[in-house]
Amino acid sequence: MATPVIMPRQGQTVESCVITKWYKKKGDTVKVGDLLFSYETDKAAFDEEAKAEGTLLEIFFDEGDDVPVLATVCVIGEEGEDISEFMPGGKKVPTTQGGVVEGEQQSGADNEKKEKIKGGTVTQEDGRIKISPRARNLAEKVGVDYREATPTGPNGRIIERDIRQLIEDDKLVTPAAREAYLKAEEVHISGTGIGGRVTTADVERMKEDKSREMVQPRIQERVAEAEYEEVKLSNIRKVIARTMHQSLANTAQLTIHTSFDATEILAFRNKVKEQGGRLGLENITLNDIILYVVSRTLLNHKVLNAHFLEDKMLIFKHVHLGVAVDTERGLMVPTIYNADGKSLNQISREVKELVEACRKGSINPDYLKGGTFTVTNLGTLGVEAFTPILNPPQTGILGVNTIVQRVKEVDGKIVTYPAMGLSLTFDHRAVDGAPAARFLQELKTNLENFDIFLAK
Amino acid sequence: MVYDLIVIGGGPAGYLGAERAGQAGLKTLLIEERFLGGVCLNEGCIPSKALLHSAKICDYAKFGEKYGVTAKDVVLDHGMVIARKNKVVKTLVAGIKSQLKASHVEVVEGRAYIVDRSHDGYTVKVNNESFVGKRLLIATGSVPIMPPIPGIEKGLEKGYVLTNREILDIPQVPDSLVIVGGGIIGLEMASYFNSAGSKVTIIEMLDHIGGSIDREISQILLKNYQKKGIEFKLNSKVVEIHDGAVVYECDGKREAVEADKVLMSVGRRPTVEGIGLESIGVEIERGAIKTDDKGKTNRPEVYAAGDVNGRYMLAHTAYREAEVCVNNMLGKKDIVRYHAIPSVIYTNPEVAFVGETEETAREKGIDFEVAKVSMRYSGRYVAENEGGDGICKVLIDRKYRNIIGVHMIGNYSSEIIYGAGLMIEAEMRIKDIKELVFPHPTVSEVIRECIFQFED
Ligand SMILES: Cc1cc2nc3c(=O)[nH]c(=O)nc-3n(C[C@H](O)[C@H](O)[C@H](O)COP(=O)(O)OP(=O)(O)OC[C@H]3O[C@@H](n4cnc5c(N)ncnc54)[C@H](O)[C@@H]3O)c2cc1C
Repeated sequence: MATPVIMPRQGQTVESCVITKWYKKKGDTVKVGDLLFSYETDKAAFDEEAKAEGTLLEIFFDEGDDVPVLATVCVIGEEGEDISEFMPGGKKVPTTQGGVVEGEQQSGADNEKKEKIKGGTVTQEDGRIKISPRARNLAEKVGVDYREATPTGPNGRIIERDIRQLIEDDKLVTPAAREAYLKAEEVHISGTGIGGRVTTADVERMKEDKSREMVQPRIQERVAEAEYEEVKLSNIRKVIARTMHQSLANTAQLTIHTSFDATEILAFRNKVKEQGGRLGLENITLNDIILYVVSRTLLNHKVLNAHFLEDKMLIFKHVHLGVAVDTERGLMVPTIYNADGKSLNQISREVKELVEACRKGSINPDYLKGGTFTVTNLGTLGVEAFTPILNPPQTGILGVNTIVQRVKEVDGKIVTYPAMGLSLTFDHRAVDGAPAARFLQELKTNLENFDIFLAK
Repeated sequence: MVYDLIVIGGGPAGYLGAERAGQAGLKTLLIEERFLGGVCLNEGCIPSKALLHSAKICDYAKFGEKYGVTAKDVVLDHGMVIARKNKVVKTLVAGIKSQLKASHVEVVEGRAYIVDRSHDGYTVKVNNESFVGKRLLIATGSVPIMPPIPGIEKGLEKGYVLTNREILDIPQVPDSLVIVGGGIIGLEMASYFNSAGSKVTIIEMLDHIGGSIDREISQILLKNYQKKGIEFKLNSKVVEIHDGAVVYECDGKREAVEADKVLMSVGRRPTVEGIGLESIGVEIERGAIKTDDKGKTNRPEVYAAGDVNGRYMLAHTAYREAEVCVNNMLGKKDIVRYHAIPSVIYTNPEVAFVGETEETAREKGIDFEVAKVSMRYSGRYVAENEGGDGICKVLIDRKYRNIIGVHMIGNYSSEIIYGAGLMIEAEMRIKDIKELVFPHPTVSEVIRECIFQFED
């Protein structure tokens, strides 16, 4: 005959207990004396051992459930036995037919590791947090801030295992820092002490830095109860999201990387810096130089100065160069029309005007379309290589990277040189790898021999 | 094939880092040009401790009368001491070899040179063979500083000037030994050779010995040594070294001491040259690789640990730094907390300390209190140290009432100090420590005694 296991009554005033852990799952064989589950009251924790042997036929309560005393928690018996008489109200138990239903119905023990028990937010009664004395003791002993606990006890009460969870999540504070930390109220700080404990230095730093920049990143892991701010997407963000996604979804992109010796263009830029004013030259940047060289080099590689339109391609006679610009509102790509016909100084000036207009939000929308090839520069942010995303229907986009020091052998000696990276993404539907690589190769040669190139 | 990690240097930082990385499943290569175990095992911590232990036994035997034990004809057989030291080193190096093997670390012998960084990772050359690693751990350690004093180079050539490398292998005890530099290494060597029968003189530029140790303890140590017959020339600067004599300047006067051998131990400098750091642009600051508290350099995925970062040139710091580097490589947040790193001088008597000294606390503007007790508060100390005059000093933060520094002189302090480090790192308050139980009778009880001098 099947034997029910009931929630023991622990003292006259105890109405219910919380199951904190299951050691067996449905279908397990149990022997007399095996640990079945642990449970706790507000004040104490207990283990329940099996008093009968057999198979664990059914479990009626999961971890975290608040079980009235004397209620049946589970049933031990022989496989196939009828247990319907023990079923408490509210919990559906499948009949023994059909493995499908069996599979869906998992006991709490099965879910043990996969899912954290969901809890509510900390409830306060008359301004006091509801916490069991056991939990409070433990919190004080090990030094966790129980205000950060997610209560899983009855009526939103914090119980011992909620504190254990905080310990597991490294939410600890050193003894010396505790008082100051608790006074600091609700500010989450990330600890730099042993095991991530919040230290006195962390508290001091937090006091200095009230600007809330210190919001603990780890807290974001607990998405369910983490604080967040909901931000509606701006239109520009929506457009960027759509085009970027469509770009990747609808084309065949790949990126190839190279680098070139930037010695010459660096020297050139310095010369302009020193003497440019006298000649009425703009403050020409490395990026301007690259735009200039790209606008010329593209003319020899027209498949990259093109639009790919599924059944045909538009090959352009002139280069209308898109320049990716980072603005507060998001990425914008204004166009330098007929860049191949403009001098370096003109390009430099025009880029500055376009960037300015984009940042101010006063850009003429005509300038945000019509590009035939795009250049994007993350080098100024220290990026060493990346995969730019095409601006369809364009067939190519060039990423400009930062300068790193490389070594090469010159006359048997190891010398260093500034290497600037280039990352070319192209649409493999329109362009093959080799022609794309040839463009990059010529670009590299032109940039490395910029003085001569200028003379052309 | 591309390694997940290439470790350059097989000292404590290198071999431990490689072991940890290998155990975590990173495909790891370790490159060492001399001996596995680095300075620590082959010519530093371990050999010096082997020697000092023999000296201690000799001292105990020689001065045993105080304890009612008389031994006749006590001799220290230096040849046997060195032979035993070599055996100890061999055993430990073999242990490291097998540990590396068990951790699946590949080991290559030779000098490593970093060539460049490609998209695959960092290329490192050893004996004309190239290896590529996604990450680097630079652990090339340090070498003795050789100030440009006339006569040093010739002395090194001819063998009357020694570094720690040669002196730990010296076949005969010199009649007279002059040690240039009264830091930890100099003092340890003085301690051994004094016991072994040399006439030892220490020449130190500062007005105290032991570098940054507590001033009072430095004084006690000085007196202990003087009693043993070691001579000190403080405020003195060595200006010339000859075969047979060292010339120094004190108060503007030039004087000379006789010297069969001269040990140079004025400090060590990180090995940052000749390893190709410049090819990948690793930032060097004041002659050391600049790292943050995660062990990262300015280059992506390039880490540095141990003496090469010039912070705390100690083997246990190297261990911890290497672990932190590997943890961060594996995406586990971890930092080195430098304020709780203990230091030990294994002389007789031993000196051990951790955390702030009165001087550093004052410099940092920390509001602190000090308690100091004689080692004679410990029953065990009195029983075992006839006429000993050690002290223990504890510093606490006045505001948070936690312990921030502990300084001890007296035997066993080397083994006790880690407990003090733990108290500092865990930011235990006076009242927390008052609840701890210290075994009786032990020398460690002096810390408890100090703690009870403070109010909670
Ligand atoms: C006499 C003495 C006593 C000491 N006693 C103590 C003590 O009691 N306690 C303590 O904590 N510390 C002590 N130290 C300090 C301790 O030895 C060092 O802090 C520790 O060895 C540093 O470890 P590391 O791994 O950084 O470097 P190292 O031990 O210096 O190892 C670096 C290794 O890198 C190798 N290497 C360098 N360049 C290359 C290259 N290009 N290619 C391949 N390999 C390379 C070297 O051959 C060396 O083996 C002592 C030092 C000395 C000199």
